[in-house]
Amino acid sequence: MEVRLLKQPELRKPCIVSGLPGIAYVGKLSVDHLVQTLHAELFGEVYSKFFPPYVLIGKDGIVELLRNELYSWKNKESERDLIFFTGNAQAVTPEGQYLMADKVLDTAMRLGAERIYSVAAFVTDRAIDTPRVYGAATEEALIDEFKRQGVLVMEEGPIGGVNGLIFGLAKVKKLQGVCLLGETHGYTTVSGQYLVDANAGRAVLEVLSKMLNVKVDLSPLDRQVEQMKEAIKRMAEIEEYAIKKTEEAAAKGYKNYIT
Amino acid sequence: MLEHTWTEHYRRIEASEPTAIVGSPGLRSIGKLVVDSLVERLRPELVASLYSTHFPVIYQSEPSYAPDPRFPGFGGALVEAGETSFPKVEFFFHEHPPLIITRGYHADFVGQYEVAEKVLDFYEEAGVRRMIVVAGYVGKDKDVCCAATDSKLIDEAKSHGIETSYAGPFYGFSGLVFGLAKIRGIEALCLFGRTEAVAGDLQCPDEDASRFVLKELSQLLKLRNVF
Repeated sequence: MEVRLLKQPELRKPCIVSGLPGIAYVGKLSVDHLVQTLHAELFGEVYSKFFPPYVLIGKDGIVELLRNELYSWKNKESERDLIFFTGNAQAVTPEGQYLMADKVLDTAMRLGAERIYSVAAFVTDRAIDTPRVYGAATEEALIDEFKRQGVLVMEEGPIGGVNGLIFGLAKVKKLQGVCLLGETHGYTTVSGQYLVDANAGRAVLEVLSKMLNVKVDLSPLDRQVEQMKEAIKRMAEIEEYAIKKTEEAAAKGYKNYIT
Repeated sequence: MLEHTWTEHYRRIEASEPTAIVGSPGLRSIGKLVVDSLVERLRPELVASLYSTHFPVIYQSEPSYAPDPRFPGFGGALVEAGETSFPKVEFFFHEHPPLIITRGYHADFVGQYEVAEKVLDFYEEAGVRRMIVVAGYVGKDKDVCCAATDSKLIDEAKSHGIETSYAGPFYGFSGLVFGLAKIRGIEALCLFGRTEAVAGDLQCPDEDASRFVLKELSQLLKLRNVF
């Protein structure tokens, strides 16, 4: 596990905003959107032997290692600057996830970080029109803070991976921590890949931008929300077709029907 | 105490900036087939072997280039011509042009990055500044396409008529050596031979695809008696 600092940013009591790829990419989508729209500056790269065993070839043919990234942004509207933590992968094993969360928190604390907001997904099977945002925190005062933004308290349950661990370890390291979880169905494709839930990400960002006191244009996410709805509709149609064909085959007495 | 990954050197490489060639038994075994052909036809000298406690002799997950932390496989010895041996990465040296031809091996999940780093340590000690990786890709476009650590190399490949075509993940030994070379400052080009996935046997050898890659590689390196 290696944190490579490209530069040492001068930051005022920064808040960490963390979101790695996980269920429905809620965390990654939210943090990526903040990084892109605020034009945050890359200052650190994290490489790990606990990442999955592949590299990525881009459309331009250039190879990239899997990595996590640290960005900084100076907030002129607040007394707190921001450190963003995101990346194109999560460490795979619990050991790797603990090490990653620990290293990143230590790096951010050396830059003066006092608080972390971690973004994750809250999986539900209820019909979602407007996704709810759930929250958990390291202390009571922070729970009151997010409740004022309409966030529901997450009563119990695990928050898996680095998105949960970085929040949990924050408490051990005496940092203030809030975890915001966007409600999602966590749909997956046939190959097991999560569909990006821009609707859940957007719901979290509406809350998070207020808590961070940053102005962010969320309209670019609208197109992604529509794409996601279209993909889910297509998946439902395919599923319905498959069920119908299977039922027809069963009615004809075929035991092994392959579409 | 046994190290996790170690290299046995048989001879010191004395050459100015040799080019490393890297292939392993990945998708349709194209990389390994190309390396096997080079070893057979150029008759380079085996100069070092890299061993690791992370090399299974039996893999529990398929394909071997996509290890799963839940299934580390089984360690063990190999028998070759009645003698005992171990799974290994082999480094062969060819003098003119100076090449280090590398036959890779896939580690378990825990060891994969460590093995790739050790391979790059070996290259750095040997003065390698440039690498060509050979592998396979599933696509409908070019017989051979390329990827690289920087756009200058892509342009160079294009000047030889090799275009980019594949975008996506590149798994296993060769992928990690390729990606880690970039952050070590070693220039690396990858030649992907087009193939089709065989369900249930992704490493099933594709001789035709490997021949296309070998042809492009031999032209790039101006190798005679290879293709």
